[in-house]
Amino acid sequence: MRHHLGRFGTLIAFVLLCAVFTAAAPSAFASQANFFNLLQQLATLSIVATAATLVMTISEFDLSVGYAASLAAVICFAMFGAGYDAWLAVPVALFACILGGVANGVLVAVYGVPSFVATLALGTVLSGVAFGLSHGGTLFQNVPPGFTSLGRGNFLGLPVLAFWIVAVLGIASFVLSQTEFGRRLRAIGGNALAARLAGLPVVRDVIATFAIAGGLSGLAGLLLSARLGSVQPTMGEPLLLPAYAAVFIGTTASSTGSPSVAGTLLGVAITGVLANGMTIIGVDPFVQKIVTGAIIIVAVLVRRLGRRQ
Amino acid sequence: MPLSSAALALTGLVKQFGATRALNGASLSVAPGEILGLVGHNGAGKSTLIKIAAGAYTPDQGTISLDGAVVSFASPADAYAAGIRVIHQDAPLVPAFDSIDNCWLGRAYPRRMGMIDRRTMRRSIAVVAEEIAPGLPIDRPVAALSPAEKQFVRLLRAVADAGRVLILDEPTAALPAEDADRFFEALRRIRARGTAIVFVSHRLDEVASISDRVVVIRDGANVAELAGADIGVGRLIAEMGGDNGAAAAGSAMTAGAPVVLDIVGLTTPMLKSPASFSVRAGEIVALYGLLGSGRSSLLNAIWGEEKPTAGEMRLEDTPFHPRNAGEAVAAGISYVPADRHRTGLFAEFDLVFNKTLPLLSSYRRFAGLPLPDRKAERADFLAAAERVAMAFHGPGQSAGTLSGGNQQKLIFSRWANRHSRVMLLDEPTEGVDVMAKSAIKQIIRAIAADGNAVLVSTSDREEALELGDRVLVFRDGAIVADWGRHEVTPAGLSAAAQAKRAPAA
Repeated sequence: MRHHLGRFGTLIAFVLLCAVFTAAAPSAFASQANFFNLLQQLATLSIVATAATLVMTISEFDLSVGYAASLAAVICFAMFGAGYDAWLAVPVALFACILGGVANGVLVAVYGVPSFVATLALGTVLSGVAFGLSHGGTLFQNVPPGFTSLGRGNFLGLPVLAFWIVAVLGIASFVLSQTEFGRRLRAIGGNALAARLAGLPVVRDVIATFAIAGGLSGLAGLLLSARLGSVQPTMGEPLLLPAYAAVFIGTTASSTGSPSVAGTLLGVAITGVLANGMTIIGVDPFVQKIVTGAIIIVAVLVRRLGRRQ
Repeated sequence: MPLSSAALALTGLVKQFGATRALNGASLSVAPGEILGLVGHNGAGKSTLIKIAAGAYTPDQGTISLDGAVVSFASPADAYAAGIRVIHQDAPLVPAFDSIDNCWLGRAYPRRMGMIDRRTMRRSIAVVAEEIAPGLPIDRPVAALSPAEKQFVRLLRAVADAGRVLILDEPTAALPAEDADRFFEALRRIRARGTAIVFVSHRLDEVASISDRVVVIRDGANVAELAGADIGVGRLIAEMGGDNGAAAAGSAMTAGAPVVLDIVGLTTPMLKSPASFSVRAGEIVALYGLLGSGRSSLLNAIWGEEKPTAGEMRLEDTPFHPRNAGEAVAAGISYVPADRHRTGLFAEFDLVFNKTLPLLSSYRRFAGLPLPDRKAERADFLAAAERVAMAFHGPGQSAGTLSGGNQQKLIFSRWANRHSRVMLLDEPTEGVDVMAKSAIKQIIRAIAADGNAVLVSTSDREEALELGDRVLVFRDGAIVADWGRHEVTPAGLSAAAQAKRAPAA
């Protein structure tokens, strides 16, 4: 019973949260404009959180996601500034992030460096490159309108970014739950030694996972920069903690306590609605932080107590 | 020996687990300043006895007394407080701590003006170290110490923290010969301090040379107690006995079947002498030997987990050198590893997941697309589960909730619906109950009868005798005997497996 409380409790908490804010600020919170605004704000976070979900599925951490997002945006905009076209700049930016992910994966899978350390160190390197390319400043020149339309405006009556959320999270969820690759990732996360002894290509899969996480982080960075129309070398860093908070909240909605894309989406929605709603009803920013942290702790505790049964 | 002078006496212990009577009146007593050997085959009841002495189990019948006074242990903490120290061969040490800190771990630190008094800590350990293991670098992190030195640290910790009765469980299994000698010197010095020592080991020559007295148990009861000149390896083997069960069901003649796996002069880091043998289709070859004798290393080499240092493997007359387990699977090798919790099972995932994982690509929904077909997986799981007679609630149950025997059957079921050229089984009945044991042996025979070549690595003599069409005996990294079913005897097996370690060079 408590098992189910933990599982559906997360969803119920989300519904309650929406109900409370709707009651408190019916016109401001429960409006179409605010809903679209939320979708746009959360698109970037949900994609980075998806990258974190993949890496946590193999029981590792990738702390470079935020730095990779910054780097992709900076590379892209630096190339715009130098007169290159988006058709070249975007692939180069994504490729750089995938390469960073491969480096993370090699350090972890081949050399056995703890992923915490490897990805933090590599992320610092990526951040340094981003600072170097941008000279520490803001880049906003020569941005092709075709590029900014990736993250702005509406399509079929919904914000463009909403389609990105559906596409990326949909594919990731399909891969994790329906493919052999996804199955292997869950096996590696469950028992890496047993996975290797069962003949699974663990090294290759771990490297691939970090590479995908790098690519997704880069994509998130590009979409953020398209929406804002300018980039700074630190713009991706604030994504790291909320992304993992979302994954952790999401694990509370799974029967085995393992990460899932759907759970992560719920986690993103909860943290997003919380921040948005509290801002609308005028809660002090510092109180918002305390509430957000407390909610993550409560979610994980409920889960723990439920699992102990 | 009068019980009143015993530091620890266990008398008439009975312990029942379900349908199995693990102990059936076993007794043991050890005096201060005495080394008591405790021997018996796997399953004779040694570990249950140790666990009762350590307070981990409470006996159904029988008494525990310390210095003549009857006591009862409600928990391991009680036994610890009474001065009983059980040392397992790989009891954890904190790698980054030196010997001093490891010895003081969990104890109340001495204080001086509110600060931890390192000097007193060091002195107290140094005094004992000087006495039992002179030359041990007690200030060095234990991560930098050799396996033998780590073993000294474990002894040191037990003795330094007021241990009065030491129970050593296979303490020398991982030690090379010269280190074992040093270890025994340390034991003799500890004995000289008046500590009571129980030495539990499969290495009978070591038991014979170090023990003042030896208790032999079989089927949960004492069968002999030897002292002084009576203790000898031959006598111990005879007393351990247990010739029952050796008469195994005859298997099909495999002499004419084709050779599937041919091993020629293979060596690995643990298997130092070149090993050569071949396995025919439908044949069960048992690899018997003590822990660390090289048989697991051989399986690892065939499975691609360990790189051979020399030699050749041929699979159906083609050179075969897998670089990883994936290549071994693809070549038609199947493997049931030892220690399934660590190396086999995905405990939190469901049964179908656990069954289909190694051969997942054979369940594709559309040829060429890596999308598993859940229905096919489920149907296949149910068929395989029936073949291995697995008891379970439903395919969606998580693997961790199965009993030990059924978990093992689950691992077997992974390979149940394909023809394996070679099936590798490492300690296949380890940690399963008696019923499941015989069921698993039947499964193994059925696998062989289907024409798979089977290698069973085991430290269980009865299992080697019952299953093996042939038995290869491993000792200290070499194959020392290769016997057919009709040449092999229980006593012969034990004698061949007993290490006569080369004297220290």
